Amino acid sequence: MRIGPRSTIGTIILYAVALFALVITASPYVYMLAQSLAPWDEVQRSFIPSSFSLRSYTWLITGGEFGLARPWMQGLLNSFIVTIADTAGQVAFGAIVGYALSVLAFRGQRAINSFILFQMFYPSIILLVPTFLVIQNLGFYNTYFGMILPYVLSVWAIFMYSNFFGTIPRELIEAARLDGAGELTIIGRLMVPMSVSITTVIFLFLFMQRWVELMWDLIIVSDPEKRTLNVLLATMFGPYGSYPGPLYAASVFLSFPILILFLAFSRSFVSGVEFVIK
Amino acid sequence: MATARGKPLQGWMLSSPYIIHTIAFFIMPAVWSLALIFSRWNLISPQREFVGLGNLREAISSPSVWNALFVSYRFMLIILPSLLIGSLVLALITNAIPRGKSIFAVGFFLPYLSSGVAVSVVVRGLISFNSPINVFLRRTTGSSPDWLGNDNLAILLISGMIAWKLAGYYALIFLAGLQSIPVQVYEAASLDGASTWRQFWSITIPMLYPSMYTVLILAVGIMFSIFTEPYTLTAGGPQGATHTWQLEIFYQAFERFRAGYGATVALLNAVTTFATILIIRRLVEGLGRRWGYGLE
Repeated sequence: MRIGPRSTIGTIILYAVALFALVITASPYVYMLAQSLAPWDEVQRSFIPSSFSLRSYTWLITGGEFGLARPWMQGLLNSFIVTIADTAGQVAFGAIVGYALSVLAFRGQRAINSFILFQMFYPSIILLVPTFLVIQNLGFYNTYFGMILPYVLSVWAIFMYSNFFGTIPRELIEAARLDGAGELTIIGRLMVPMSVSITTVIFLFLFMQRWVELMWDLIIVSDPEKRTLNVLLATMFGPYGSYPGPLYAASVFLSFPILILFLAFSRSFVSGVEFVIK
Repeated sequence: MATARGKPLQGWMLSSPYIIHTIAFFIMPAVWSLALIFSRWNLISPQREFVGLGNLREAISSPSVWNALFVSYRFMLIILPSLLIGSLVLALITNAIPRGKSIFAVGFFLPYLSSGVAVSVVVRGLISFNSPINVFLRRTTGSSPDWLGNDNLAILLISGMIAWKLAGYYALIFLAGLQSIPVQVYEAASLDGASTWRQFWSITIPMLYPSMYTVLILAVGIMFSIFTEPYTLTAGGPQGATHTWQLEIFYQAFERFRAGYGATVALLNAVTTFATILIIRRLVEGLGRRWGYGLE
């Protein structure tokens, strides 16, 4: 590449700058981890504590404040329930509907495709209050369903799949049909396996977005034991003001599952992300 | 004949999850939002009062709504330039290093995975009274600032958090743009004796126009939907300096239970976002024409 450096010194400086940038992007995570392992009288008083203690984690795992047996572990479980249910739905419905809209041909298909585009650009904030009312009227206020249902299908995922499936050769699909495969079999056995990298990117983006959702989970659930970890943490800033150690341990529980997931899939992410960006 | 063409039954059946979901969670709410704008209702009572344009009139003359608009522009003025430069620099670094491009690209992307709540815990710790930063400031300058009690510092902190989170993601967009520039263009420029500096301004920057356009439009939308960071860190303070649109909607609709008024503020939020995106598009497209990108 032309803009690259030509000398060894240039390369060294370049790597130094790159490493510096990497330190900035990674340091909040490192700080979070260090504080979560600090003895309680040292939390927030030094970047790296003088000794390590698991007290914050013990507190979080066994802690029984505000009348609940294990609020923090329950919150983590809730986050997993809601996020996994939604992401699974978004990927499955994305593939199924995306297939119908790109491979099958039927009357009304173009109308659906243009309506999906319209939805993608429609400002979601307008829907916030009325969606709350829909959920309330369906009787799902203060339930897991209330958190899950509005996000169980993503038009973005449908759009991505339908674009990508359009690039898969028709002959393969025809061949599968001649072998007697039904449409759902074709989606599950042919289309999705052929789109591993795009599926990875869709899955990671949607998992991450759902995992860190705050406002919806905050308004739709009032029961402390149904709160996701993200909501629980956001509402515990005050009560834990003077002993913030557990908040750092909770932040670690909130941040590291996505980081680990992302790093585990980073190889297919790098190859899939180019398609999504274009 | 069982070809790909003409499969109306399967087509509609496989699309049905989308259709049901869209009716329940898009069309119904969208219609309902129109009704809400003209009513006064506390979300619970069976009584709904028709107030005509009352909500709209109140919202347009409300100081907190104007403040929210002002706050989103203030955030935009700080975040947009730093984000553009930051993500461009990250992309240039990643593009220029000979080995380990994808390791750095992935590393720079990690902030995008963070929860704003967890980052707020970190930031609150970093600026707490006995934090190493404040201790250092007191030792050297004699005093440490009241970070969240000062308008400018609170805005700067939240802006920094948002720019930190988004820069690596937008860098990927710039990186894709950089890699689509043909090497021959640079070779031709070198033969003509153009310096690296000159090439950067006359080739790289203009040819990154499509990426820049995407990043700007994406980022402007985000500037009008900031919620997590001010909710957890400042609760909109000090004196409303970080009281964003989303905080105002949340506060009105779900804390004061004014569903109709909240929906009206949400509409105004959408309208101002849209108008701002149009203005920015105009400005950017003007720049694009100067760089030889036609009307699209």
